Amino acid sequence: MTMRNKQTGAGRGDIVLGIFALFLLYALYSSGFFTAAAWQDFNRRFYQNFVKDSRYMMLVDGLKATIFMTSGATLIGLAVGLVLSVIRVAHKGGAHIPVLNAMAETYITVLRGTPAMVQLLIWNFTIFASARDLNTQYIAILAFGLNSGAYIAEIFRGGIESIDPGQMEAARSLGLSYGTSMKLIVLPQALRNIIPMLFNEFIALLKETSVAGYIGIDDLTRAGQNIQALTLEHSQPLVMVAIIYLVIVMCLTRFVRKLEEWLHRGRRG
Amino acid sequence: MNDYIIEVKDLHKTFRLQDGGELHVLNGISTGIHKGEKIAVIGPSGSGKSTFLRCLNRMEEPTSGIISFKGEDITSPKCDIDHVRSKMCMVFQHFHLFPHLTVRKNLTLAPVELKLMNPDEADTRAKELLARVGLADKIDEWPDRLSGGQKQRVAIARALAMNPDVLLFDEPTSALDPEMIGEVLDVMKELADSGMTMYLVTHEMGFAHKVADRVLFIDKGIISEEGTPEEVFDDPKQPRTKEFLSKVLRR
Repeated sequence: MTMRNKQTGAGRGDIVLGIFALFLLYALYSSGFFTAAAWQDFNRRFYQNFVKDSRYMMLVDGLKATIFMTSGATLIGLAVGLVLSVIRVAHKGGAHIPVLNAMAETYITVLRGTPAMVQLLIWNFTIFASARDLNTQYIAILAFGLNSGAYIAEIFRGGIESIDPGQMEAARSLGLSYGTSMKLIVLPQALRNIIPMLFNEFIALLKETSVAGYIGIDDLTRAGQNIQALTLEHSQPLVMVAIIYLVIVMCLTRFVRKLEEWLHRGRRG
Repeated sequence: MNDYIIEVKDLHKTFRLQDGGELHVLNGISTGIHKGEKIAVIGPSGSGKSTFLRCLNRMEEPTSGIISFKGEDITSPKCDIDHVRSKMCMVFQHFHLFPHLTVRKNLTLAPVELKLMNPDEADTRAKELLARVGLADKIDEWPDRLSGGQKQRVAIARALAMNPDVLLFDEPTSALDPEMIGEVLDVMKELADSGMTMYLVTHEMGFAHKVADRVLFIDKGIISEEGTPEEVFDDPKQPRTKEFLSKVLRR
């Protein structure tokens, strides 16, 4: 099964966090951070970056934009992925649709084979170049959504193909049609595998939208850069941005793990 | 002149291989089964016996030949194969119970979905059938919590829930631990005694001898010997049959 290798690295969350914290403490200690003067300096800069003129609101608004784009793109991705995977699975299942299938395959190959950021730039500066009054956030949702659709199609297809073909055979052998067998026997089982992977796709997309600043969207990442430009600070704003991403991703990852356990409850080995 | 419920005429099945070659699995099989008859299909592995069985309800598409069920040619494109399958149910080597549904739902899903019974009737029937296979207490259990023998008995009950005219058994005990084979054979024996029409692909020679009315020995895609269990097992005519039986019965 094809999987994106850009999912969260927080595998064993607590251990990773612990090591990260120790490393940070050591780095701070060795750079003389724990002196009174340095601590005062840190506080002053923190105030400059986040508190003065309610600058933290820039991060809040950026986070809103990031979540809005990610959610919108996921919805488009789900719709596109569903259509593409139905075409591919039906083609393999015996429906004679070679042209549609070839189109779906081409779509998946092209959109997975080029960087999402390049696609974003093409949508904004080439395809919608003349649509100046269009909100760029919608362009980003479209670009990320269509890109994500190619990955989600593979998630659906992989989930369906992971189900033992014997399940379809058994259902057909009782006289159920292909569609009914798919709907009542194969899909419900496939969804157990698919749903957690969709959340992983959402997490991947959340991080991927950080390039939206390239087409002038003030997302979370860009908000950090905007604060940098105001305060001429080189580290605090971006570290804060990174921490916000990390906290969200770790919460979602934990949720997905609980969800997986719940979906597979009551099943032996 | 016959009254076969299933009749097979000159059945061929050829698989296309990845490298472009062809594999001839069935090379012209003609046979039939009468209502209430029990036919055991035996033969070496790779002989085509499972493929033969799977062609009967078109789980495999025959390459050529005619299969008729109650007088209807089921290889014709006009045939409603789903309807035929609901009357000719199959029991698989690996059970293929639906793991996301309880035992009860495994039995009631198809009859209700195909509007053969309403949910209450199907439920009553499920209870009857589970009692018949000795698993009345497992009705609300999940398939993954059953032993292999129990799974196969549920699978037989699931097929029976359709009220089929014929049951096809594809090596129903081959995937079972030895101590569980008996319980499944007991259920099948009881079914045979009740007059069910059965095609049984098996390696259980003792059971075939005891239960079958007729035995087909399939080798290299053709029926190379056919007769009563006494004729085939006790006095085989073909050298190939003798060789096969001497190998499997030696144990």
